[in-house]
Amino acid sequence: MELKPELGLRQVGLRFGGRPVVEGIDLGVAKGEVLVLLGPSGCGKTSLLRLMAGLIAPNAGQVTLNGAPPRPGQGTAMVFQSYRLLPWKTVAQNVAFALPDLAPAAVAQRVAEVLALVGLARVADALPAQLSGGMKQRVALARALAPRPDFLLMDEPFAALDAQARELMQMELLRLTGAQGGPGVVFVTHSVDEALVLADRIVLLSPRPGRILARVELPFAAPRWREDPRSHPAYADLRARLWAQLRDAVLNDPQSDFHRAAADLRS
Amino acid sequence: MGERTVTAMPDRSEARTQAEDAPRARGPAVPGAETALGTALLRLGFLGLVLIVWALAARAAPPGLFASPLAVAQALGRLVAEGRLLPALGASLQVYLLGTGLAIVAGAALGCAMGTFRLLGRTLDIYVMALAATPRVAFIPLIIVALGLGLQAKLLIVFLGAVMPVILNAYAGVRAADPELVEMARATGASRPRILRHVVLPGALPYLMTGIRIGATIGLINTVVAELYTAISGLGGLLAVYGSRFRMAEYLAVVVVLALIGAAVTEALRLIEKRLLRWREA
Ligand SMILES: Nc1ncnc2c1ncn2[C@@H]1O[C@H](COP(=O)(O)OP(=O)(O)O)[C@@H](O)[C@H]1O
Ligand SMILES: [Mg+2]
Repeated sequence: MELKPELGLRQVGLRFGGRPVVEGIDLGVAKGEVLVLLGPSGCGKTSLLRLMAGLIAPNAGQVTLNGAPPRPGQGTAMVFQSYRLLPWKTVAQNVAFALPDLAPAAVAQRVAEVLALVGLARVADALPAQLSGGMKQRVALARALAPRPDFLLMDEPFAALDAQARELMQMELLRLTGAQGGPGVVFVTHSVDEALVLADRIVLLSPRPGRILARVELPFAAPRWREDPRSHPAYADLRARLWAQLRDAVLNDPQSDFHRAAADLRS
Repeated sequence: MGERTVTAMPDRSEARTQAEDAPRARGPAVPGAETALGTALLRLGFLGLVLIVWALAARAAPPGLFASPLAVAQALGRLVAEGRLLPALGASLQVYLLGTGLAIVAGAALGCAMGTFRLLGRTLDIYVMALAATPRVAFIPLIIVALGLGLQAKLLIVFLGAVMPVILNAYAGVRAADPELVEMARATGASRPRILRHVVLPGALPYLMTGIRIGATIGLINTVVAELYTAISGLGGLLAVYGSRFRMAEYLAVVVVLALIGAAVTEALRLIEKRLLRWREA
C-alpha cells in the first residue's frame, strides 16, 4: 500500500553564496511515518529541515506541505539539538509560547495536556536552568507537540544527551508519535544506530553538495518501542551496509577531515 | 591508619560530586544567608577601618583643613536640626530621580528601537557614541543659554549624562539577541513583534540593567555638577557654600549624604536586577 506523501520535496536545490548545499533532492513523508535523514555533518541536513519548515525557500524545485509551500509554524514544528528554551520563561510558559493563537484558557489546558504527556507536569513552574538535559529536551518536545503539528522536524535532537537519556528519549518519541493520528517525523541524525532504531525509512545523504545516496525501507515491525529492532536478524546486516555507504561518502569528500587520512592510509 | 586514608578517598570524591550537583537543585536558603551575613560583616568591618583611618588623618591634619568623623556626624545633626539638609536633599533628589528616570525611559526606548530597526541603528549609533564620549560639561553653557538656570536646565544636564549608557547598552543588548532562540521563535510562526517581546527584549534586559546602573551613577554626579553650574541649589549648593567658607565638617557631612544616596540607589538597582534576572542563576 502506497501512502500519499503530505510533506514533499521535488528536485530541490539550495545554494549559499553560489555554493550548492543540496541538489536534486526528492523526498516524501506521510503523516504517522518516521523518516530519518542520515548523513555526515555538512551534507545539508539542517538546511533541508529549514526548507521543510518554510524558514528558507529553495533555489530550485518545490517544497510542499499538503500541496502548498510550507509556512513557519503552520503544520510543522521543530526540535533542536540545543533545546532552545527561553531561559526567562517557566516550563509551562515555554510550551505556551508555541500557542500564540489560542485563548488563555485553551492554552493552559493544552500546556497541561502535553506536559502530562511527556511526564513533566510537576515541573511546570520550574525554570529551564533548573532542569537536566533530558528534561529540557522533553520540554522542547512538548512545545513542538503542543500545536498538534502534522510534522515534527527534529535536528539531531538527542545528540547532546548521555547514552541512557538518549535511549529513553528515542522510545519516548516513538510512543508519542506512533499513536493513531500522530504526526509524521523527519528526524536528522548522523548516528546509524539511532536511524535504525527510529526510522520507518532512512534516506542517506552524501556531503557537499548533499545528494541522496540511498533509500532504505526498514523491515522492523511496529510498534518498535515495545520490540527492540536491535534483536531483529536483519539489523546487523543493515547496519553494516549503511555504515559502509556512510564511510565511503565521508572518505570520498575532499573537504572532510577523514579524506586525507584515508589517502594516507591507502598510499 | 593507611587503610583509613584509602577508605576516606571515595567519600571525599562523593562529597565533591554532590557539591557540583548542588547549583542545579534549588539553592538552599541557609548557605545563601550565611554568605549575605558574611558579606555584611566584612563591609561593616571595612567601614570601621575607614573611620579609624579618617579619625587618625583628621587628628594629624592642621586644624581647619579636615574634620574628624565625630565632627562630621555632629555637623550632620546640626544641618538636620537647622532645617538645611532636608530641603536641599529634596531638591537634589527631585533633579536626580526625575532626570535619571526620564533618561532610563527614553534611553531604553531609543536603544531598543535602534537595535530593532537596523537602519535607524546604523544611522544613529556613531552620533550617540560621539556624544557619549564628549564631556557633558561642555554643553552646560549652551544649556544655560537655551533653558536658563532653573529646574529644566538641571534636568537636562542630568538627563544627558544618564541617557547615553542606557541607550548604548540597550542597543547592544537587542543586537546580541541569540540567533538560535530567534530561529526557534520563527519556526513556531511567531510574528516580529512577538519575537521582539518574548525573545529579544528579555534577552536584552541584562544589558539594559548594566546601562541603567552606569547611568544612575553618572546621573548623581551630574546632579551635583548641575547644582554647582546653574542656580546654586540642593546638596551641590551646600557643597559650594561650605566649601568656599572652609566649613569642613559641614562640607564632609554633605559628601557623606551624597555617598549614601549613591549606595542606596546602587543597592536598590542590584535588588531589582536580581529579581528581574532570577532566571540566570537557578
Ligand atoms: N546560512 C548559511 N550561510 C552560508 N552557508 C550555510 C548556511 N547554512 C548552512 N550553510 C552551509 O551549508 C552546508 C550544509 O549545512 P547544514 O545544512 O547545516 O548541514 P548539516 O546539518 O548536515 O551539518 C554547510 O557547508 C554550511 O557551511
Ligand atoms: Mg546540522
